[in-house]
Amino acid sequence: MARVGVFVCFCGANIADYVDVPQVVEEVKRIREVKFATEYKYMCSDPGQGMIRDAIVQHKLTSIVVAACSPRMHEKTFRKALSDAGMNPYLLEVANIREHSSWVHQKDKKAATSKAMDLCRMAVAKSIANEQLHEISVPVTKRALVIGGGIAGIQAALDIADARIPVVLVERSPSIGGKMAQLDETFPTLDCAQCILTPKMVDVASHPYIELIPYSEVIELQGFVGNYKVKIRKKASYVNFKTCTGCGACWQKCPVKVPNEYNMGIDKRKAIYTPFPQAVPNKPVIDAEHCTMLLKGKCGICAKVCEKGSIDYTMQDEIIEREIGAVVVATGYDMWDPAPYEEYGVGRFKDIITSLEFERMVSANGPTNGVPVRPSDGKVPKNVVFIKCVGSRDEAKGIEYCSKICCMYTTKHTILLHHKVHDSHAYVFYMDIRAAGKGYEEFVKKAQVDTGTTYLRGRVSKIYRKGDKLMVRGEDAQIGQVVEVEADLVVLATAVSAPKDNPELARMLGISYDKYGYLSEAHPKLRPVETAKAGIFLAGCTQAPKDIPETVSQASACAAKVCGLFAGDTMKKDPMVSTISNEYCSGCQNCVKVCPYGAIVTDEVPIGYGSKELRTVAKINEGVCQGCGSCVAICRSTAITLAGFTDPQIINEIVSI
Amino acid sequence: MITLGSQGKNTFLEDVNVKSGANVLECYQCGKCVGTCPVSQYMDFPPREIMQMIKLGLRNECYMANSHWFCLTCSACSGRCPREIDIPAVMEAVRHLAIDENYINDSKKVREIRKFHEIFLDMIKRYGRNYELRMMAEFNIRTRNLFKDMHLAPKALLKGKIPLGVKPLKSAKAIKRMFAIAEKLEKNK
Repeated sequence: MARVGVFVCFCGANIADYVDVPQVVEEVKRIREVKFATEYKYMCSDPGQGMIRDAIVQHKLTSIVVAACSPRMHEKTFRKALSDAGMNPYLLEVANIREHSSWVHQKDKKAATSKAMDLCRMAVAKSIANEQLHEISVPVTKRALVIGGGIAGIQAALDIADARIPVVLVERSPSIGGKMAQLDETFPTLDCAQCILTPKMVDVASHPYIELIPYSEVIELQGFVGNYKVKIRKKASYVNFKTCTGCGACWQKCPVKVPNEYNMGIDKRKAIYTPFPQAVPNKPVIDAEHCTMLLKGKCGICAKVCEKGSIDYTMQDEIIEREIGAVVVATGYDMWDPAPYEEYGVGRFKDIITSLEFERMVSANGPTNGVPVRPSDGKVPKNVVFIKCVGSRDEAKGIEYCSKICCMYTTKHTILLHHKVHDSHAYVFYMDIRAAGKGYEEFVKKAQVDTGTTYLRGRVSKIYRKGDKLMVRGEDAQIGQVVEVEADLVVLATAVSAPKDNPELARMLGISYDKYGYLSEAHPKLRPVETAKAGIFLAGCTQAPKDIPETVSQASACAAKVCGLFAGDTMKKDPMVSTISNEYCSGCQNCVKVCPYGAIVTDEVPIGYGSKELRTVAKINEGVCQGCGSCVAICRSTAITLAGFTDPQIINEIVSI
Repeated sequence: MITLGSQGKNTFLEDVNVKSGANVLECYQCGKCVGTCPVSQYMDFPPREIMQMIKLGLRNECYMANSHWFCLTCSACSGRCPREIDIPAVMEAVRHLAIDENYINDSKKVREIRKFHEIFLDMIKRYGRNYELRMMAEFNIRTRNLFKDMHLAPKALLKGKIPLGVKPLKSAKAIKRMFAIAEKLEKNK
């Protein structure tokens, strides 16, 4: 007969305040199969686990029930305690009396206690039918895919490659570098972004373990952790990168001018172009939307001037496939479009620009040679008003959340403005100054005291034109009066928003995303770089707005996770997977349709023993199966069994209450 | 409404910083001074707001405030200021600038406070120290409120809180010389 041990946890006060734990223990002791039951303040702690280990040996227990928090929290912890005592870890059953009882029934201790008892009885009943299960070994392809070549993707790729694990880095634009390549200097140390980023970009291009695939997009991901297959679409660049030397003759002669995305449209680039001089790879691509040769068949100058004959107008998109074991998603962020701020005259007044436009202007390699100018008349501005929280913390017009980086980059901008235009004055309209980071508060003080930036506490209510100036009106809550600033230039610190393609990407990868479009981590505190899907990790702003130090830390964390995943030749996987009995399977294939992981395929088996005639049955790939149980429920001939959730186990649970 | 950005350089901030030796830009508007100040509730702008007004270059508004006249220079604010700004020195600087530019709040309270200051300095000049009885008498006469606080006099006299005479200091002459030098400096300014 089964010998069950029950361990009820107080969870400090989380459970004990609302559930009468000793009473629960007394209740479970009355069950015939329960040979041992006890309580403890923190069952997950070392002494708590020790109680379980000792009881297993002392009372010769055959299955264990821990009544505590959610199994998502500590199932692994307690399974390990069982293994340590020489017991099969899958003989554990967790009764979740915290999330399912004490936390949700805080107003009724009696009911919460009674529910906790029910949950325990069910777990005991189920555990009686528990069987010994063994981890599944799955082979691993030791190659990682990194999606996105901004600082997050670059850092993750370099860290993984340095561990001698091959990396495929896919970047959508013609060059890696991302948003950071557009920055001038970085807070709070004012390091030049180019100086710290471009060497890393070169490292990526020259690293023997990194395959850089620029100007490409991931279009399909199949498989499961350790064994993914990815399809990548290489966009036609119309330039043969193998022979191109990047001499620049083509883009110097190209007659077509297009707004330059790298400089936020402030100047023009050609239709054949490299995004910026320090681009990696430093090879041009042809912008098919604007090239007259591709559109109308007229021109062809670039092909004529190219000494190497690298231009190929007939080039087509190419689909390539790679086998990989893990994915790091680092797709970055978009700048929020401030168009809804009509009261600021966005779109009407030329001298209102966004912070990234300002960043390009003050940048040494920018379109204005590092000097900010008014777009309207090209004059150097004297009074510049910076408006923070444009789109951020604005439920009506923008987004609820704080974009986290605007306080600091605006502080930086006021300092840079002062560096570039000595007799200028910066005014900052703000709601709060959020300077939580190493050296950040000191940086704000530097702007306020050394640079003399005037901080006015309030959201700007409106902007109107007066002559060639812009009048910026808002309250300064520090003196409780309305102030108007006569500005030459207004810079909007626009919010950080999720890349607009993120939902589509998330669906393709099979991971979840939040209401804003940011990709969701598995646990906000304890698993911040993992997704709910094994083997897919998140780095940088694609998960939430963050600054460069945080992005780099997260990217390195991703690399550590990938290296951990690839540490062995095979990977261990939970044995809670479905199996199909060929005898019972009618071959209806309903399970194939409902499986959300594509883990079920069809197979041909002989009709009877020794027969040559074949019939179709369903077959489960246990490496892919995540144990969701959908197939079990849909199977009308009860041919499918899910290990750890067998019919006897479920029926026992139902009967026990 | 206040308009900023049109007046060019903030000369008021510079004047106050030079005169006080403090740096008003250091102020980050926490308001600890306001909570500390024993007379902030009598001021029309508490010290924190005065600091912000200086930062915004609101010279006239600042002069016309009564705050710097009410300030007791007790230094409780600067003792607790997390940025260690010498706020009483800033108040003093504003007071001096306001007198220099003859831009003074004309309310009755401020007039009385200024008279009090004048009489006090006069006492020091004459005797090298304060002569309380004479000071009180003179203040009451000059503010045309003869019987102000008179009911407290008998008790205070009995307790010896108000000496009837005054002993001039040995160094009274030196103090007089100090005044002479100061006045000369003031004239040559």
